[in-house]
Amino acid sequence: MTDTAMYPPQPSPDADTLGFWQATAEGRLAMCRCQLCGLWHMPPLERCRECAGPTAFEPVLGTGSLYSFIIQHHPAISGYTENLPYAVGLIELDEQQGLRLPARIVGIETSAIVCDMRMQVVFEQLPGGDYVVPVFTPAIP
Amino acid sequence: MNRMLQEAAVVGIGRTKYVRKSGRTTLAMAAEAARDALADCGLTPADVDGMTCFGTNGSAGPSQVAHAIGVEDLGWSLSIAGGGNIVTTTVTSAATAVLSGQADVVVAYRVLGSDTRYGKAFGTIQAEGEGQFAAPHGYMVPPQWFSMYARRHQFEYGSTCEDLGAIAIQQRAHAAANPHAIGRDLITIDDYMASRWICDPFRLFDCTYEVDGAVAIVIVSAERAKDLPHKPVYILGAADANRFAGSPYQWDDMTTMFSRDTAPKLWARTGLEAKDIDVACMYDCFTFTVMATFEDFGFCSKGEVGDYFREGRATYGGDVVVNPHGGLLSEGYIHGMNHHYEAVLQLRGDADNRQVPGAQTALVTSGAGPFGGALVYGTSQL
Repeated sequence: MTDTAMYPPQPSPDADTLGFWQATAEGRLAMCRCQLCGLWHMPPLERCRECAGPTAFEPVLGTGSLYSFIIQHHPAISGYTENLPYAVGLIELDEQQGLRLPARIVGIETSAIVCDMRMQVVFEQLPGGDYVVPVFTPAIP
Repeated sequence: MNRMLQEAAVVGIGRTKYVRKSGRTTLAMAAEAARDALADCGLTPADVDGMTCFGTNGSAGPSQVAHAIGVEDLGWSLSIAGGGNIVTTTVTSAATAVLSGQADVVVAYRVLGSDTRYGKAFGTIQAEGEGQFAAPHGYMVPPQWFSMYARRHQFEYGSTCEDLGAIAIQQRAHAAANPHAIGRDLITIDDYMASRWICDPFRLFDCTYEVDGAVAIVIVSAERAKDLPHKPVYILGAADANRFAGSPYQWDDMTTMFSRDTAPKLWARTGLEAKDIDVACMYDCFTFTVMATFEDFGFCSKGEVGDYFREGRATYGGDVVVNPHGGLLSEGYIHGMNHHYEAVLQLRGDADNRQVPGAQTALVTSGAGPFGGALVYGTSQL
């Protein structure tokens, strides 16, 4: 095990995903959207899967509902062997049904998390590199 | 209705022991399973002219295994990238090679060694593709993907951890009668509920038992099968389904799996339905995989799987015997190829103390989440 093995997995952006990480670095959540028909895509695509139109990263509200979640107890992944358990959820963003983002859930006791609860994005520096990741916390009504 | 596949049959089955740590190479284990399967049907490596396998990493490829057992010229070789989702495709590809005349005797196998363990991910990880949005959050291994499904099912249909436990308990009870199984100690619902959390809502007993080992099956034409020692087991039909680029977290309705697409295709292609099945080898990387796919294949309605298992309908004397070998949960994780071994053994009537009386049809499913397949084996053609 090298020293870096203590850090979480790092994103490895490609030409289709780079815009997502450029936005989070500036504290913004942006998702891939077709510039012709308006369809949102996750994961990002170079061209729209419906109309083959060009896509670009557009800002989103950063709010959504929690489709599902897990509480990870077992140390299974680099960078996540301490501070167990932790919660990960799938957040359906308000922009489009089924537009989901996996993310850690913060700012709430794990026992209080329920499906369909309202969430909003906050940003965290990912240890071990230069990336900022979107995480989600219960929305303030 | 295209029933061409039933002109192919499984005539030989072979395997290694399943152990936690073998100290052996995947090549050595795959070669042993291939030799075992050929010996089972009275053939030799000289008869083999086709070989196929699937895997993600650490596997031994068809040309290596063919060479290792003494095949001189492997005329047809196909290595398929994939996991449990692709088992059906691997088997039907072997059948198709035989039926199209590209090969006469095909060995299909899966081998897993200690270097391949799916339940954890350590080291310096650069997450590519869609994984780059999940892995940084400590979310990248299969128990996490499918416990996410189970949670949504519990939310929408009121299924419980006890329901998942009923599946784990039943399969362990089956494994107790199987000398080849790695997990043979009976468990109770109390044992299940007391087992440690892996990722809530999954406990230890919801998860497959990862092992080292290999399984191989031999496929020939129905015509050739007549001359071989065992009763042929015919491939009555098969179907696969793939959505959402294989992304486990973009799948729209997590109370279902690939099987919602696979099942209607399979039943339409075979003219069969759930009530016609005697043995159900349900792919079971996790208990919830059985729950979701069992519903999708129409054995019972949404939310009823727990009661179905508790009432004894998934075992001997019930409606259908589910994973009589104990499945991936208790026999061991050979990525679903061991389900094919078991189905053939049962349909031959050679399953000894765990024989399903009069078994004539076996459903074998493969995969979880957004992609997977299934086929039906039968003792006679349709």
